[in-house]
Amino acid sequence: MRAEEALAALRKRFPGVETRPVDPAPGVTVPPQSLREHLVFLRDELAFDFLVFVTALDRPSEGALELVYRLFSHETRVSVVVRVRCPRDGARVPTVSDIFRTAEWHERETAELFGIVFTDHPDPRRLLLPDDLDGYPLRKDFTHPNLIRLPEAR
Amino acid sequence: MRNVTFGNRDKMPPTARGTVPAATVVQPLPSASATSDEFLLNIGPQHPATHGVLRVVVTMDGEVVKDIVPHIGYVHRGLEKLFENRTYEQIIPFTDRTDYLSAIANNFAYVRGVEMLLGLEVPRKVEYMRVLMAELNRIASHLLWLAAYGLDMGAFTPFLYAFRDREEIVAMIEEASGGRLTTNYFRVGGFVHDLPKDFFARLRKFLARFGKALNELDTLLVENAIFVARTRGVGVIGKERAVSYGMTGPCLRASNAAFDVRRDMPYSIYPSLEFEIPVGRNGDTWDRSWVRIEEMRQSLAILRQAMEGFPEGEHRARAPRNIEPPAGEVYSAVEGPRGEIGFYIVSDGTRKPYRVKMRKPSFSNFSALPEILRGLKIADLVAVMGSLDLVVPEIDR
Repeated sequence: MRAEEALAALRKRFPGVETRPVDPAPGVTVPPQSLREHLVFLRDELAFDFLVFVTALDRPSEGALELVYRLFSHETRVSVVVRVRCPRDGARVPTVSDIFRTAEWHERETAELFGIVFTDHPDPRRLLLPDDLDGYPLRKDFTHPNLIRLPEAR
Repeated sequence: MRNVTFGNRDKMPPTARGTVPAATVVQPLPSASATSDEFLLNIGPQHPATHGVLRVVVTMDGEVVKDIVPHIGYVHRGLEKLFENRTYEQIIPFTDRTDYLSAIANNFAYVRGVEMLLGLEVPRKVEYMRVLMAELNRIASHLLWLAAYGLDMGAFTPFLYAFRDREEIVAMIEEASGGRLTTNYFRVGGFVHDLPKDFFARLRKFLARFGKALNELDTLLVENAIFVARTRGVGVIGKERAVSYGMTGPCLRASNAAFDVRRDMPYSIYPSLEFEIPVGRNGDTWDRSWVRIEEMRQSLAILRQAMEGFPEGEHRARAPRNIEPPAGEVYSAVEGPRGEIGFYIVSDGTRKPYRVKMRKPSFSNFSALPEILRGLKIADLVAVMGSLDLVVPEIDR
């Protein structure tokens, strides 16, 4: 099975879902509330058994955070990317750590670095950052007294 | 004896003794019930068995591990944030420092990602050099794992043997790149220098000798009766759980899952090389050790093939001086010594990446530790943790 076929199967199962070919792995953008449904479908019906990573992108100009879930299938050796867009303020996304166990740590990391709440997360403590750090470091507008911009390279 | 005081602690005013500065407030510990034999055991952040700065809090019932809570982040340097403020070339040396034992594999994954963004083809010789370096690096990393793991398990001799052999590789890498651990050898489009003149003579000498030395190491540690008794059937994780935890590399292959980035997401010249993917049967600690020994044998086979087919040519493609990839995103993965090393790079068309996410094998492998350890004895903790071959800066990044 190729990635395009996987996306076609997704479109068939979830009409109206937005898919796009992104090099090198095709992607699908889903609303937060149906993320879990899509991942379970991808895992159980299309054999995407491996969650490679979870991360996010901050898009302040669009006022949005974009979550990126990259899946891989050991059976078909195909990758697919699932994206979720949510507003920068009060971003809430359901946890998928019971669908893919590896998501637990990836979500903890993404939560503290981007300021996203993963609802129903089994262990929502901080993972990497010190407890007394304010702000979300990987947001584009993060500032810290020790974070000094280097002079532009020429 | 009642009046003995330790330091001047008892002389401090009670208010100073009672307040804890905000920065040292520790994360809450799981509560152990007072009625049972349960107690908490803290290991780390400074402990020889953790091979770096990490901490695990173990809930023990007698000597049985009931639960384990890993604490990481002690060497979190915020590299992904730093990357957003560096040009594409400036990032290369940072990738070395995420995993000091596989700097070359990390360079490889990152540089390849930038080349994918640029649509840059590299000369055939560069691909061969990269595979040679990556496989040498894999053997060096596995040898260090074997040495350190032997020490963890109370076997001192393999350490000396492994370091003798590893030194040969490190010296070769040093002669080529100028660095022993953090090599910073790769550049977008190729390498900073060509291979030194006598590189192949040294490599040939190493290949002729190391096969036998590896057999020795194998019998000395992995086939050793005491070692087998401590590792066989200990710390088992099944295939399905290992995949769900995102484990990759030798740790996953030990659980009978034949996944290797070199074969399953082919890159560079690996599709044209012949090598096997050793797969364990039980997913226990012994299998994880055995898989690494076999992988070194396969790496030797790859090195021989890459040496035979080594083409003439340039050591660097004509890459633009200022790297400004078009807007877009790529995910570039290579098989590092510990598993899938991936760089997810998002470009907005400027000289600095919009976002770089590093997918590191130790991060996912380590997250499975509570699952593997629950129900084992405390003495197995060191055996299991060592078999995961953790590199802490790679977990924290």
